[in-house]
Amino acid sequence: MSSDIELVGVFTTDDQCAHAVEQLHHVRILGFHTFAPFPSEKIAEAVDEVREWGKSPVRKWVLAGGITGVITAIVLTVGTSWEWNLNTGGRPIASIAPYIVIMFELMILFGVMGAINSFFILSGLPSFELAPGYRTRFGADRFGLVVRVAEGDDAKIETLMREAGAEDVVREAA
Amino acid sequence: MRPIGEPVQLNWSRLTTIATVLVVIGVLGVILGLVAGQPQRVWLTWLVDLLFFMGIAQAGVVWSTGFYLTQGRWAGSTHYRLAECFWRFLPLALILFFGVVIGRDYIFPWIAHPVTNKIKAHWLSAPFLLTRDFIAIAIMVFLSWIFIGYSRAREAVIWHHQPDTIEMPPVPIRRLAPTLAICYAVAYTLFAYDLISSLSPQWHSTLFGWWYFATIYWGAICVMSFTAVQMRRLLPSVNIFTRPRVMHDLGKLVFAFSVFWMYLTYAQYLVIWYGDIPTETFFIVGRCWHHPWMFLTWMVPVLLWVVPFTGLMGVLPKKTPKILGTIALLGIIGVWDLNYILIVPSLSPDKLPLGWIELCITAGFLGAFIICAIPGLKVLAEVAVSDGLETSNEAAQH
Repeated sequence: MSSDIELVGVFTTDDQCAHAVEQLHHVRILGFHTFAPFPSEKIAEAVDEVREWGKSPVRKWVLAGGITGVITAIVLTVGTSWEWNLNTGGRPIASIAPYIVIMFELMILFGVMGAINSFFILSGLPSFELAPGYRTRFGADRFGLVVRVAEGDDAKIETLMREAGAEDVVREAA
Repeated sequence: MRPIGEPVQLNWSRLTTIATVLVVIGVLGVILGLVAGQPQRVWLTWLVDLLFFMGIAQAGVVWSTGFYLTQGRWAGSTHYRLAECFWRFLPLALILFFGVVIGRDYIFPWIAHPVTNKIKAHWLSAPFLLTRDFIAIAIMVFLSWIFIGYSRAREAVIWHHQPDTIEMPPVPIRRLAPTLAICYAVAYTLFAYDLISSLSPQWHSTLFGWWYFATIYWGAICVMSFTAVQMRRLLPSVNIFTRPRVMHDLGKLVFAFSVFWMYLTYAQYLVIWYGDIPTETFFIVGRCWHHPWMFLTWMVPVLLWVVPFTGLMGVLPKKTPKILGTIALLGIIGVWDLNYILIVPSLSPDKLPLGWIELCITAGFLGAFIICAIPGLKVLAEVAVSDGLETSNEAAQH
C-alpha cells in the first residue's frame, strides 16, 4: 500500500465535481470521496450511480435487523401469552392476527436500528480526525474529490480530473 | 417539443378486429344468458365487469392527476398519456350503467326483501341509489374530460418536458387535479358501499370504501405497466419504454401500492377479527373458509401482494419487462377476481357461477375497453417514440 498516493482535485462548481465522479465511474475507480460546502444533489446522484457498481453492505445489516425484530416479536408475544395463559373472549391463547402488527413494527424498528448502526460502523464514525485530503476551502467555496490510486495510474487520473474542470490537482502520500 | 421522426406504424386494425369480435361474443353472452334463464348471472357479471373496467379507466386518469400533484416528470409526457389512454371508456360506462338499472331486481337483494332499519332502508331505495350513482359517474366523466383536455394542451406538454425547473403545472391543472382526485375517492367509496357492500345489506365496514378505491388504483398501475411492456415490444426501439429507468419507476409504483393494499387489507381484517361480531365476520368467513369460494378468495392476496412483493423486491426484476409485465398481468387478473368475489358470493353463497356466461360477458367488456383505448394508445405510441428520441438527443448532446 505504500505505493498508493492520493490525488486531491479542487473544483469551483459541483457540476465539474459530479462530472469528474462520473468519469471515475467509466474507468471503474470506486475508492474516492468528495467534499462540498453544501449538500449537492448533482454530486450525490453521480456518487450513487458509481455505487451501483458495488453492493452496499448496509442491506445485510438491515436484513439481519429485520429478522431479529420478527423473532424478538414472536418470542415476546407468544412467549408472554403462554406464560400468562389467559383466555380472552374465547380466542386462542397465542392469537397470531394481532401479533403480526407487533412483528411488523419490531421488524421495522430493528431493521432501522441495523441501518443506523451500520452507518456509524461502516463510516468509521465517530471520527475525531479530519478526513485525508480535506481543505478548509471545501467548507467554503470549493468542491473536493479525493482519489486513492496506485502510483503508476496517477497521471491518467490527474488528466481525467483536469479535463472534468479541476482548477488544481494536488498529490499527497496515502 | 416533439423531434421530427418517422410516424409510428402499428397494425391497429388487427387489434380493432380482435376487440370487435370480443364485443360480439359479449353481446351474444348477454342474449344467450338471458334466453337460457340465467338473468342473475348475467347482471351480476355485468356489475363486476362494469366496476372493474370503469374503475381501471377512471383510476388511470387519477394516476395522471397524481403525477401532476407530485410534479412527476420522469418520462416526459409519456406516463401522462399512458395513464390517460383508457379514459374514453368512461362515457361508455355511463351508458353501460343502465345494465345495472335493468338488472336491479337480480342484483340488489334488498329490493325484494327491504331492510328493517329505517335509515338504512331510506338509503337503500332503488331510485335514490341508482340516481345518485349515475350522477356520480356523470360528474367523474365530465371532470375527467375537462382534465384530459388541459393535460393535452400545449402548456402542459411544455411543462412535462422541463424536469429541471421548479415550475408548477399550469393553473387549470393545479385546480382540477386535486378536485378530481378527491371526487374519485368520494365517488368510488360511494360505489363500493352502494354497488358492492349493499349486496350483503347486514354487513358493514368503515374502511371498505377507501380500501376499494385503493385496490382499483393499484389495478390501474398494473394495466399501465402491462401496456408499457407491450408498447416497449411493439414500438421502434427508440421508444422511451426501452429505458430501464422508466420500467424501474413503473415497477416501484406496482410494488409500493401492492404493499399499501396489503396494509389496508390487514387493517380492515384485524378490526373485524378483533370485534368478532357475526354481522361483520360472516362476509369474511363465507369467502375465506367456505367452499366453493375459498380458492378464488385466497388467490387475491397471492396475486395482489405475495407475487408483486416477492417478485419485484429487487431492482433487476422491476427493470426486466417480462417479469414486470407478467406480474402486472397477474395483478389485473387478481383485481378482477377480487371484484368477482366481493359481489357474487353475496347472492350465491353456496354455488360458484363461473362459466361461459361470465367469460363471454367479460370478453365483451374487455373488447369495448380496448376499442375505447385505441385512440389513446395511438397518441401514447407517438409520444413514447418522440420522448424516446428527445431523451436520446439530450444524451448525445451531453
